[in-house]
Amino acid sequence: MTAYIIRRLLYMIPIVFGVLLVTFCLFTLVGGDISVQIAGKNADAETIAEIRHEYGFDKPLFVGYEPLVDDQWKEPTDPNVLASYIESPDGDDTIILNDYQRIVAIENAKRQWLGGLFKQRLSDGRILDAWSMLDFNSQFLSHFKKAVTFNFGRDRERQKISEKLLQGVGPSLALTVPMFIGSLIISISLSLIVAFIRGSVGDFVIVVVCVILMSIPYLSYIIFGQLFFAYELDWFPIYYDPSRPMAVSVVLPILIGIIAGLGVGVRFYRTIMLDEIRSDYVRTAFAKGLTTPKVLFKHVLKNAMIPIVTNVVLSLPRLVLGSLLLERFFGIPGLGYLMIEAINSRDFFVLNAMTFMMALLIVIFTLVADICYGWVDPRVKFE
Amino acid sequence: MNNQEVTTDMTQKPVKGRSLWSDGIRRLRKRKFAMVCLVIVLIYFALAGAIYIDEVLQDKFGEKGYEGISLFQWNESIGPSYQKPWLDYEWTPEDSEMSQEGWTFFGTDFLGRSTWRRTLYGAKTSLTVALCASIISLLIGVPLGAIAGYFRGWVDDVIVWFYTTLGTIPYILLLMAFAVVLKDATLFGHEIKGATSVYLAMGLTSWVGICRLIRGEIIKRKESEYVLAARALGCSNGRIIFKHLLPNVFHIIIINFSLRFVGFIHAEVILSFLGLGETDRPSWGGMIDAARTELARGVWWEMTAATVAIFFISLALNIFGDALRDCLDPKLRTD
Amino acid sequence: MTDNNHTLLSIRNLSTHFFTEQGLVKAVQDVSFDIPLGKTLAVVGESGCGKSVTALSVMRLIPWPPGKIVAGEIEFDGQLLLDASERRMREIRGNDIAMIFQEPMTSLNPVFTVGNQIVEAVKLHQKKSGSEAWTVAVEMMRKVGIADPERRVEEYPHQMSGGMRQRVMIAIALCCSPALLIADEPTTALDVTIQAQILELLRDLQRRHQMSIMMITHDLGVVAENADHIVVMYASRVVEKADSEELFAKPLHPYTQGLLRSLPRLGEKKERLDVIDGAVPNPLHFPSGCKFHPRCPIGKDDSRCQTEEPPLKEICPGRHAACWYAGENKDE
Repeated sequence: MTAYIIRRLLYMIPIVFGVLLVTFCLFTLVGGDISVQIAGKNADAETIAEIRHEYGFDKPLFVGYEPLVDDQWKEPTDPNVLASYIESPDGDDTIILNDYQRIVAIENAKRQWLGGLFKQRLSDGRILDAWSMLDFNSQFLSHFKKAVTFNFGRDRERQKISEKLLQGVGPSLALTVPMFIGSLIISISLSLIVAFIRGSVGDFVIVVVCVILMSIPYLSYIIFGQLFFAYELDWFPIYYDPSRPMAVSVVLPILIGIIAGLGVGVRFYRTIMLDEIRSDYVRTAFAKGLTTPKVLFKHVLKNAMIPIVTNVVLSLPRLVLGSLLLERFFGIPGLGYLMIEAINSRDFFVLNAMTFMMALLIVIFTLVADICYGWVDPRVKFE
Repeated sequence: MNNQEVTTDMTQKPVKGRSLWSDGIRRLRKRKFAMVCLVIVLIYFALAGAIYIDEVLQDKFGEKGYEGISLFQWNESIGPSYQKPWLDYEWTPEDSEMSQEGWTFFGTDFLGRSTWRRTLYGAKTSLTVALCASIISLLIGVPLGAIAGYFRGWVDDVIVWFYTTLGTIPYILLLMAFAVVLKDATLFGHEIKGATSVYLAMGLTSWVGICRLIRGEIIKRKESEYVLAARALGCSNGRIIFKHLLPNVFHIIIINFSLRFVGFIHAEVILSFLGLGETDRPSWGGMIDAARTELARGVWWEMTAATVAIFFISLALNIFGDALRDCLDPKLRTD
Repeated sequence: MTDNNHTLLSIRNLSTHFFTEQGLVKAVQDVSFDIPLGKTLAVVGESGCGKSVTALSVMRLIPWPPGKIVAGEIEFDGQLLLDASERRMREIRGNDIAMIFQEPMTSLNPVFTVGNQIVEAVKLHQKKSGSEAWTVAVEMMRKVGIADPERRVEEYPHQMSGGMRQRVMIAIALCCSPALLIADEPTTALDVTIQAQILELLRDLQRRHQMSIMMITHDLGVVAENADHIVVMYASRVVEKADSEELFAKPLHPYTQGLLRSLPRLGEKKERLDVIDGAVPNPLHFPSGCKFHPRCPIGKDDSRCQTEEPPLKEICPGRHAACWYAGENKDE
């Protein structure tokens, strides 16, 4: 068991690395340098350069060195300083590299980093060690560092991303946890009833209603639900009001979410239940003389728990993410809302942080699901 | 001689035809309701196709006086703004003195454009996106899955690693991220516009499922007799994969395709609604976005038209997809 | 045979149909036979001939939809089972009539220990406390020949071999001392040596408990030494019934004759065993007339066999066969 968990934890490393690679390709390679957009329409070149440096867009992509920003060095008054210095072999004993020389050295090193020419022999015979002057850095490296240290820096409004994410978790969970539990209970009980009356008119009606519920666009549920129950009937608040408790604001979105997800849920669990109910052991149980409820709730449900538990555990990390559309419509300040904001402002930093954190959660919960699987199914052995 | 060959061919056909496919299609034909759904789906496709052809013709012959089919002129102002459905109205077009009388089938939006025409046009946007996304997703997922399942070894490890990685990121987040990044981005010198970014994003993110499925099927089938026979005959690996293995899992691809199509349509609606999709032309998601603020003022028809349009194609595709699965793959049957 | 004092189960004109999407499947048509007290009756036939459906009809476990018992009577120990309430049926199931199934691999619930599954039946039918029921379970496991039962009651089905699982199935079936045991192909899925052990076990338990057995099998070899009476079914109907010895000595129906010829016999030198030509007909499209005629050496070319279905008639005392030529072709 311990060996199994350790092996699985080791297997997580390439997956996490893969996620980092994907997010890097997506947000940095394809998304590109958005410093101009951050700076706004009327920004001058200096501001843009500052922003470029602040967000690290001026670093090399994969391998290279930390670049220097304009104000860290000054143009030498004599443009031939370096050249003349190299040409005169009887110069000073000490080489004082000025900024310009550093730049030249860096540029050389950048060009030649593969050729082993990090060290340059100057004309006076001394060694100029470019390594010692340069900070090895790249956009990928800082992308990696951010993820490992969970320090995702600041978003476009210069707020700390990790703080923003943490603030969003609570409201998101307040919305999704009741929604998830509600729809789980309703779906499983309905699917058991359907399994009980399978093949009858009632079963057919429930299946048809499920398909109809599945076919209505999610947006329509939200918009009509909000219009009718909050605006027309005024039973619930239309929009999140920070002065009232969260519980009041989330009731309507929870109800809408449950109804919108019911079709998919019942069909999913119905398939599981029907798979189980056709098993041979069910026939054995009936042949023993057990009542139908006993067969369903003891024998079938315990077997069905295997896929159900796995599914539930795998769904848990997604609860953190909240519900994109519901949060947007009802103004609930959760992670879904944050995501919409990030999408609208093309804030890749926030999206990157969210993607990585969610992927990490899912990787962990996949392992948890596998352990739970062994716990509900006596046939599974951890090897 | 020629004649004889034809006749032998014809006599052989019914024998050859009793395959999984003809069997499945025969079973499918018996399901009247599924066939009705197929007709509905085909009507949507025909409509989208007609709009597409009309647009191409207008592009080519617009100067020569081809004005296109008026039903597809979604951008034309046909009456006052927010005109209720099924009412006669009287209005004065901007550049004329004469007032006109008219009638709209499903009301107008705030620019006085016909909701009905915009809804029809939405079918083209929606189906184009869903179709392109499906094709991209199949083009990536099927070969990758087949190669991974057939060759195993390190190739398999790499492909599995890759799709596990993608599968680890919540789909909605992945899709949104792709859509945001791709919107108005420049890839290989081409600027990605409008609907293109949507179907690229959907196609590039949704191949994991089919890839996993095909890989599993290929692993199951690669040791079967017909593959061994093909190998004994000296067929190349590529030939075995594409001529022998893939045709045998084709029904799985079709079933997957038909059931996932609905998902693409719904995803397109949400992306368009969020402003990540087609913005220059009507789309159902865009219509919902435009209509939702006006709903409280009693402008219900735009919202309703888009909802109903989405509802019917989803319902038809859901029912037809289920029937297709039941008929083509008895093992996958759910009831 | 018709004497009620000695008959435990009597099936009369039973018909069970399945209303499927493809059409009506008459899985069992007009089947009648009796099982005497303490004896073994074997129902023999190829797969799909309706023998399992007959057994499930007796238990009233035909899944509806699509299956339904459409006609007939089943009398068990003086009660008409088809008229009994569902509640009464549940009392009978497992307690008076028990059943074991073909697939010991899947017929046990994988997520409960085997002990749990025996105890469940004991608790249900005998008013016993938990610890008493467990004692019964351990005792039953010992009786069916499972070594170290105290330890093995705690095991899950997947930890046992196929033969062991079938023993557990038998333990579940016999824990309430039923009057009738229906064994639906109890040994088909097992190795030959295990088969013999299981059959021996059933015989032994039958002797000790004075139990009747309805043994369903497609294997005449199994039947030969175990059954007192034999019912041969073909395409949903009974084609022949007789005492075991008489049937083996002189089969009347061409189908039975074919089945017997396909058995290997000691001392007989043959290049290969005889087989019955053709395949079992599709229950959706049974042939006209005698359903066996396309495969029958006589009926193939006989116009009467092709058009008229022969009824099951008494050929000589205690012997029934459904063939137009059953009485005549004695040398066949």
